[in-house]
Order: sequence, then structure tokens, then C-alpha cells
Amino acid sequence: MSLGGYDVEVQRPGGLATEEMTLNMGPQHPSTHGVLRFIVKADGEVMREAIPDVGYLHRSIEKIAEKVGYHGFMPYTDRVDYVAAMPCNQGWGMVCEKLAGIEVPRRAEYCRVIAVELNRIASHLLSVGSMGMDIGAYTPFTHALREREYINDLLEELCGARLTFNYMRIGGVAWDLPPDWVPKAVAFLDRFEPLIDEYNALISYNKIYVERLANVAVISAAEAIDYNLVGPNLRGSGVKYDVRKDMPYSVYPEFEFDVPIGTGEVGTVGDCFDRYIVRIREMNQSCRILRQALAGVPEGPVLTKVPRKFKPPVGDAYIRLESARGDMGWYCVSDGSEYPYRVKIRTGSFTATSIIDKVSRGVMLADLIAIVASFDLVAPEIDR
Amino acid sequence: MGYFRNIKETVATIFEGMSVTFSHFMRRPYTVQYPDRVPIRIQDTLPFRYRGILEVDLEICTGCLACERACPIDCIVIDAVKDKDTRQMVLKRFDIDIAKCMYCGLCSEPCPTGSIHHTSEFEGADYSLESMLRRFVKTPVVAYKPKKGPETDPEVAPILDRGMAYLTDFAAGGEE
Repeated sequence: MSLGGYDVEVQRPGGLATEEMTLNMGPQHPSTHGVLRFIVKADGEVMREAIPDVGYLHRSIEKIAEKVGYHGFMPYTDRVDYVAAMPCNQGWGMVCEKLAGIEVPRRAEYCRVIAVELNRIASHLLSVGSMGMDIGAYTPFTHALREREYINDLLEELCGARLTFNYMRIGGVAWDLPPDWVPKAVAFLDRFEPLIDEYNALISYNKIYVERLANVAVISAAEAIDYNLVGPNLRGSGVKYDVRKDMPYSVYPEFEFDVPIGTGEVGTVGDCFDRYIVRIREMNQSCRILRQALAGVPEGPVLTKVPRKFKPPVGDAYIRLESARGDMGWYCVSDGSEYPYRVKIRTGSFTATSIIDKVSRGVMLADLIAIVASFDLVAPEIDR
Repeated sequence: MGYFRNIKETVATIFEGMSVTFSHFMRRPYTVQYPDRVPIRIQDTLPFRYRGILEVDLEICTGCLACERACPIDCIVIDAVKDKDTRQMVLKRFDIDIAKCMYCGLCSEPCPTGSIHHTSEFEGADYSLESMLRRFVKTPVVAYKPKKGPETDPEVAPILDRGMAYLTDFAAGGEE
């Protein structure tokens, strides 16, 4: 039979007629992280399939790039992933620099790394906090957002905005580190690092929380690679891959840091808990990078002279960088004019969406919330 | 007996989490009661680089249209015409659509005199879209022409000093 345009099977176990229900979850749902819609076929409380309906938040950002030009597109990249806008800024800067062969000053690279790592901590805090909230623990969310506020204050002082930074430019960063900013950032790190242990005491090893996440939506390493998962989602499955380590860019080779992977400490390798705990550990590693970067900021200019009418030579360029949601790709084709011919952005949330249908088969409907939260989806990043 | 062990672990970990929560009764809150109970105006506490609502000092606007060209969403509209008799640039229109503006700051960077600049004002809510359109030119004005030496007009000089200070301080991070 047909229900709302979807074929529905009628099952009659033991003569009792039950029907699969087709449910619509989202787009305006408090725990789908933005406007993301799922078409769920459920048999009682058990999901048969959950198909993510992408495209609801499509704003054709890639097309806009073809109209606003190279310099003008920078504020738009903030909107690709608004939770972690700095890596998007850096991606657009890097791809344009590769197109035109521009060398970025060392001080600018340090400024970029500091800004990106601060933003990565802020993004992971939001992910960790909202993970607790989705599952029903409200307190961790307020704790996480409080620390995120401090990072926002730091970034506001650095670039004048709290969410849509527009901090980087082609050929460097727009503004130098403000005076007395570095001690403030170090003071924040001193205060923040013990708080990560506090989160673990507060929620991470809470028995109820662990029961909700352990052994749910297990993704094996081979599956994660097959489905093209990136970033913390891939590392949660036990694959040690980080663009910062394996395809180094910027000044990352100069810093010492580890790549945390999921170990299945409370369940199976690659379950929701592993993806969660990888983010917690990545915050520690980001703090390590930040300490090294803040201690060694070199002197010098922060912006190379780039003409206002920026015309890169004909050609194309592709760069990869590690954003908060994993391997982010930026591809740009130039036809030698003031406007890019084509821009393509490859994001981690989009690839994570593709595996949701597979892992949600046969689990409870309430676990879909935990699965979506563990992938750390940001809806605008899925659609661009 | 897994059943009883589960209960024991649950209670133990809940109390562990609660101890963190209880410790927060003793800490100072980070929140402020906006807008009623703030000790000082929020606008005065914002950092120097804060990008609030745009403002234009027409006295030092040269009519070079650099901001209009830099704006990626065309929220700035300027009509500047050259007067044939006096050979001066006359500004007939300088509109900024605050409803459209995304506060990226790309317009204030190329400005040669710091005429267009961000203020720390951010409370821009209004009842109609028309009132969001800021018209800076009421009657046509002659655009500012940069002089070779220092500015001599006592009325314009302080404004130009402020504009130039804005340009340099914004890059340096500002010391108020």
C-alpha cells in the first residue's frame, strides 16, 4: 500500500496486522542540529530506515562565489560551517593562494593556526555539549557553552565578530594579534585544560550516558573508509588519519601533537561513545598545539600585498585541510578573470550523512538522535 | 549480579556528576542580565575591533567609491557626480541598507580616510525595513578633497584625525 507517496509493507505476524509507519522527523526538530529532515520508516519503535533529506538548507554558496569575486567571497565562507568558520576562511585563503602562487608570511600562518585551533575547541565544545542535551542531560550543555563564551570573547577581540569571523584574507590574515592578547589566550588555556577532566567527571563516564552511547551505531574501520567518513567520525572507528599529520599544510609540521583514535573502551570500536570521546581528546591536543603556537609567534607582517582586483592565472587548484568536522576540500577553477569560474566545497558533514541510513537500521527511534549527535552534523555544511 | 552492580554504578556516577554541579554554587556566574541589569552599557565593554552598525563621516568622505566596490552584497549605494562648473565631486546619495549588511568589514578596509567605519552599536531592531535604510546625505554635499599638507580646517581636522586613527588602530588592535 502507499502512504504519503512511500511504499509501505504490511506485516502480519501471527495474524495481527501491524503497519510500518512513515514518520517525518524535522526539519524543525530541536535535536536535528539545524534544519535537517529525516524520513523514518518505523516498525513500532524500531527503525527500518532513516533517509536524510538533504537540500532543505541549500543556499548555493558555491554559485555565489562565481558572482562576488575572490575577495568578496571570504565572508560567505563563514556561512559554510558557522560553528567552525575559521577553517572555512583558511580553506578559501589557501586555495586562492595556491592558484596564484602567493606565499603567506610566517606570522600570518601562526595567527591562522591559533585562530583555527581556538575555533576547533569551540566547535567540539558545542558538539560535546549538544550531544549531552540531545540525550537528555542539560547541565553539560550549559557548562560547555560557558567555556565557548570565553573563546568567543577571545575571537571577538581578535577579529571583531563572534561567529562569522571574516578574519583571513587571501595572502594572510586581516589583522595582527592585538596587544596583550597572547597572555589572555594562555590564561584561558590554563583554566580550560583542567575543565576537560571536569566534563569527564560530569558526563563522559556517567553510567546512564555510557549505556545510551556504547555499542550504538558501530561503524567498522573498513566501513568508515568505504563511506568516506572524515575527521573525528573516522578516527572514532580506529583509523589514525588526520590531514594535519598525514598531508601537512600551513605550519602544522612544526607542532607536536597526537591523533586520538577510538579504542572501544566501554563498548565496541567505532560506536557513538568513541566518536564522542575522540572529540574530548582532540580538545586536549588542540590545547597542546595552541600552547606551542602562542609561545612561538614569529615577528613580521601578517598580510602579503594582493591586488584589489585579484586575477589568478588560468588553472585550477584543490586543497585539503582539517576542519573541526574533518577533511575539508576546496576546489577552485580560474579562467583568468576577476571571478572564479567554479568553486566546489567538500565537507565532512555531507559524507557523514550518507552512512546514517545504514547504521540506523534496526535500532530504536530514540537512538537516531544519539547517532546524529555523534556525527556532529552541521546542517548548512551538508547543503552549502 | 549484573543488575545490582548497574544500579550501584549509576548512583555512584550520578553523584560524581552532581558534585561538579554543586561546586558551581560557589563559583561566580558568567551570565549577565541583558538588557536590564548590566552594570555598564554593553556597547562600552566591546573590544575595539567589534564590527557593529556602519557609520559614515560625510565631512571626510572623498567619494572614491572604494567601499561600494568592495561590498560583496551591494548594500552601499553612492551617487557621486562631478560638478562641471566647480570641478568638484558632489555626493548626492550615500545609502547603507543595514538590513542587508552582514558586518564583514570589507568596506572599511579600503577607505582612504576612515570615513566609513564600524561603531560598537549593535541594537538595530526596528519595526520597518525602510527605517533600516540609513541615508547619510540629506542635501548634496561636496566630497572631501585630501590636502597635500595637514588639514587646516578646524572643523574637519578632528574628524579626519579620528578617521585616520581608526584605520591605523584597527590594524594594530586598538588601545583605548
